[in-house]
Amino acid sequence: MAGDRSPQRPRDEGEAGPGANQAWAAISYLIGGIVVWGFAGWLIDRWLDTGGIATAIGAVVGAAAGVFLIARRLGR
Amino acid sequence: MLAVPETEFPPSINEFYPPPLWEALPWLTKFTLLVWVAAGVLIIFFLLAYRHPRMVPTRTQWLAESIYGFGRENVAKGMMGPEGVRFAPYFTTLFSFILLTNLFGIIPGIQMSPNSHIAFPIMLAVISYIMFNYVGVRRYGAAKYFKKSLVPPAPWYVLPLLIPIEFFSTFIVRPVTLSLRLFANMFAGHMILAVFTLAGFVLLNSSAWYLKPISVVSWAMAIALTFLELLVIVLQAYIFVILTSSYVAGALAEEH
Repeated sequence: MAGDRSPQRPRDEGEAGPGANQAWAAISYLIGGIVVWGFAGWLIDRWLDTGGIATAIGAVVGAAAGVFLIARRLGR
Repeated sequence: MLAVPETEFPPSINEFYPPPLWEALPWLTKFTLLVWVAAGVLIIFFLLAYRHPRMVPTRTQWLAESIYGFGRENVAKGMMGPEGVRFAPYFTTLFSFILLTNLFGIIPGIQMSPNSHIAFPIMLAVISYIMFNYVGVRRYGAAKYFKKSLVPPAPWYVLPLLIPIEFFSTFIVRPVTLSLRLFANMFAGHMILAVFTLAGFVLLNSSAWYLKPISVVSWAMAIALTFLELLVIVLQAYIFVILTSSYVAGALAEEH
């Protein structure tokens, strides 16, 4: 078929390939962690009226959890 | 001839809401027509290209084969390995459709991409979302698939912290960013081209004589940005398809 290459052709690099998949997953774990637990912290803030500290704690814990997830899921 | 009296400047959101082509059918706008035209063009092109296939391909056949070869080799097999071939027709179609509808944004006379209305990228992202979940559930069964997607390898006491993040990043962020990325690129591209083109007319018609030559600069920018927009168009179609294929590959993959 037109455009067929030989089987020994090396894998296409750049945007294609599982490396790109991991990069997007890493970013979404990091941002997702901050957003999810920051939001949980914000809800606790509204409930307990603690003026912002719970949001900050939630965001930091979420960031740590995001980094932990990246290390576990993508580091093996 | 060079005046554009009815168009407002700077272009506002009304740019993206053209009137219906026929009052009796309020849903039949330029966008609807363009989507139908895109689907029709693709169907007719691929049908005609393979009507009388030859060993030494004709030009149309070669073009169609190259497009499918790209979808099969680089996208399906590149992201998923040999078993990805059964997804190759869908990825090729998806890539061609997104590329064509994006291209409408710079074709003179049309200059509006259906993907600059978020509804169309949303539907494409919904199809990808249902697809990667369905394929994973079909292979592994629902319980095992969700356990595989949501439960990372971590000690049990950390899991309550991690599972909401996994859920958010796999089942919420993925479809949202797929659609939003395509929409935002097409929306912004059209806006910026509209601004520079209309600015050229406004400068030309301005009362200050020294502003009139600047309109040429504005139009030169519009031309340069059209080439950039071409790059963005191809890239965004490619990214959408690559990410969809990687999500499907991830749903099918064995855990390490």
